[in-house]
Amino acid sequence: MALEQFAESRPLTLGVELELQLVNTHDYDLVGGAGDLLRALAKRQLPGDVKPEMTDSMIEMSTGVCENFRDALDQLGTLRDALVEAACRLNIGVCGGGTHGFQHWDDRKIFDKPRFHFLSELYGYLAKQFTIFGQHVHIGCPGPDVALYLAHSLSRYIPHFIALSASSPFVQGADTGFQSARLNSVFAFPLSGRLPFVETWAEFEAYFDKMTATGVVESMKDFYWDIRPKPEYGTIEVRVMDTPLTVRRAAEIAAYIQAVSRWLMVERPMRPRDDDYLVYTFNRFQACRFGLAGTYVDPRSHEHRTVAEDVLATLASIEQHAIELDADEACQALGEIARSGVNDAAVLRGEYADARSLNEVVRRQCLRWKT
Amino acid sequence: MLESTIWPAWPLQGNDLMRLAVALLLAAVCGEAVARVLRLPRVTGYSLAGMLMGPALLGWFGPEDLSAVRIAIDLALALLLFELGVRLDVRWFRANPWVLVSSASEAGLAFVLTYFLMRGMGYSNGLAATVGAIAIGTSPSVVMRVAAELRAEGQVTQRLFVLCALNVAYSVVLSKLIVGGMHGVFRGDWLVGVLHPVYLLAGSLIVGAALALAFQVLRRAFDLSDEQGAVVLFGLLLLTLSLLDMLRLPGMLAPLIAGAIIKYRDPRPHLWPRHFGTAGGVLVIALFMLTGMSLVPGQVAAGGVAAVVLLVARVIGKSAGVVLLGPVSGLSFRQAAALGLTLAPMSGMAFLLTEDIRVIYPAFGAQLAPIVLSMVAVLELLGPVAVQWGLRIAGETRAGDK
Repeated sequence: MALEQFAESRPLTLGVELELQLVNTHDYDLVGGAGDLLRALAKRQLPGDVKPEMTDSMIEMSTGVCENFRDALDQLGTLRDALVEAACRLNIGVCGGGTHGFQHWDDRKIFDKPRFHFLSELYGYLAKQFTIFGQHVHIGCPGPDVALYLAHSLSRYIPHFIALSASSPFVQGADTGFQSARLNSVFAFPLSGRLPFVETWAEFEAYFDKMTATGVVESMKDFYWDIRPKPEYGTIEVRVMDTPLTVRRAAEIAAYIQAVSRWLMVERPMRPRDDDYLVYTFNRFQACRFGLAGTYVDPRSHEHRTVAEDVLATLASIEQHAIELDADEACQALGEIARSGVNDAAVLRGEYADARSLNEVVRRQCLRWKT
Repeated sequence: MLESTIWPAWPLQGNDLMRLAVALLLAAVCGEAVARVLRLPRVTGYSLAGMLMGPALLGWFGPEDLSAVRIAIDLALALLLFELGVRLDVRWFRANPWVLVSSASEAGLAFVLTYFLMRGMGYSNGLAATVGAIAIGTSPSVVMRVAAELRAEGQVTQRLFVLCALNVAYSVVLSKLIVGGMHGVFRGDWLVGVLHPVYLLAGSLIVGAALALAFQVLRRAFDLSDEQGAVVLFGLLLLTLSLLDMLRLPGMLAPLIAGAIIKYRDPRPHLWPRHFGTAGGVLVIALFMLTGMSLVPGQVAAGGVAAVVLLVARVIGKSAGVVLLGPVSGLSFRQAAALGLTLAPMSGMAFLLTEDIRVIYPAFGAQLAPIVLSMVAVLELLGPVAVQWGLRIAGETRAGDK
């Protein structure tokens, strides 16, 4: 299958997708409820969409095209309210968080849809291990070359997005020591990582054709990259974030990505180079493991600082663009988090220290999700 | 003379403990065999073993032996009902009243169909109503054990627990009201006829509330999910049972009410002590084995055909009740049909309710027992299978058939 045409989209528009956990209200383990919930929501008129995911304890809600932070927050709020209401009628709990704290991967069931069964056949237990919950943010691009420019430029900021959204410290009943353990599951997939360093759409098409010729991939969907172009929407999609514990945080992070993108597109502060990727996996690991306190190596100056310091420096650079986009409120909130170091992973660890029970932590996640 | 007190008598004399031990082992083996060879729920095997060893076939045990171990049955049932109560979240009814409506409809249809069928077969009004009331009940022990064995979780399982808990309540309340009516009819004493059911229900409510309160106080002092927790919980339930016995209150309602109150007042997840499952497991084997043993062949045969017809009507009533209200309450047709099937089991509870009536009105009990006991005999074996199939059809099992 050839690569699709890069569709037109209004530059710097936003789209947010959130993968959510479905849990029972008895012991708060994951429960297969996606089918029930989709049936309950089928007749509702909603902005955006609600879709099934790989296993039947997951559900994805996505906004339509949003203009700015407010718009995204409103749409996410409407979707969340509808989801919570329908789930309540079914006695199911819904919550954010990048992983479920104590679920056993082997208990999961693949959602009944041909593509998911195909992936499960192909990837075996990895498919069930993929019961992890991420936030994806789409940024509209005026053309394909700009999309590639933006994808490479944003790669430098991946550690920010990871550290600010991190909400997956617990996996299979234990504290992993990571702030975002979720991304470790993504790394297991053979086609994960980053997109190759190509700067024009023609080069990208050539790469894509070579890959399809090997028979390894069929479509863009087979790449599990951290940032990937989405030609059918005319966007690039940032996929490294954990689903935050609230829609507000999700909208704030989306607004931050939008503001950084505007700054990159308008001011073109630097041209991306392949060598920028030398520190990519190191920085990414540091952000996953230590969050905002992780070490961040500047790809150009090779200076070492913390992720938090780099976030604050970036917020200062993009301030004018954030104001233009009405994203300054969101950026200020994220600045607070960078200064205090209390992201959602820290919140969850605090809840666990208080409750001494991961079941209770999940219940509190459900309560937090409603706020 | 001293000799006889220090040396064993020869040949060795069997004692009651030995018989009970052998019975337990046989039941366990039978459960395992049924699970491995026939791939049916283990509880079917336990009941089967009980029937084999009981008066129905081998005659190793008779109803007189059962009174000695009645406390084991009562404790096992109390544990299960308490756990079931904790899974009954009444807040759900506010969010989705249709769940409550579908419960009323399946229980109502099961009662109405059973009642009119009994009348059609020429039984008296009182007997028809009593059988109807008992037929509403869905066995909590079968439902909980089979669901636990299959590690079932999902919409159908959840509703099954809720409907089962409500059915226990309806069935007990209704049969006590009928007993009240009988005081009026048989003794002409309508004052007792009104006061007795009121006493039983209010008493159960008060004892249940007291148990809930005690549990919550203890929960603050102990981590109830560790070993200590199991001891505390067993002790608390035994205390409740002795209190209920002293007050001549039914054993089934109070633990259920206590569980539901606890869930309502404290929505935190309630995890059972790790060793609770093991200790509870032994009691559950005993529960099913003993219920199997309590079936006397003469009575089962006397109930015979009538019981089978009634069972079919009962399953139709329950299924129709949930299928009719499936769509509005949020179930697909397939799920609703599966749920109807899983509501079939009848077991220890029906037996205990019948016994309670037989103690007060032996003559009436003698008419009632054959019908109820043959229904129980059939469903002891088929009920667990119905739950297993239902949960499989709903796709909610997580053990055995991945």
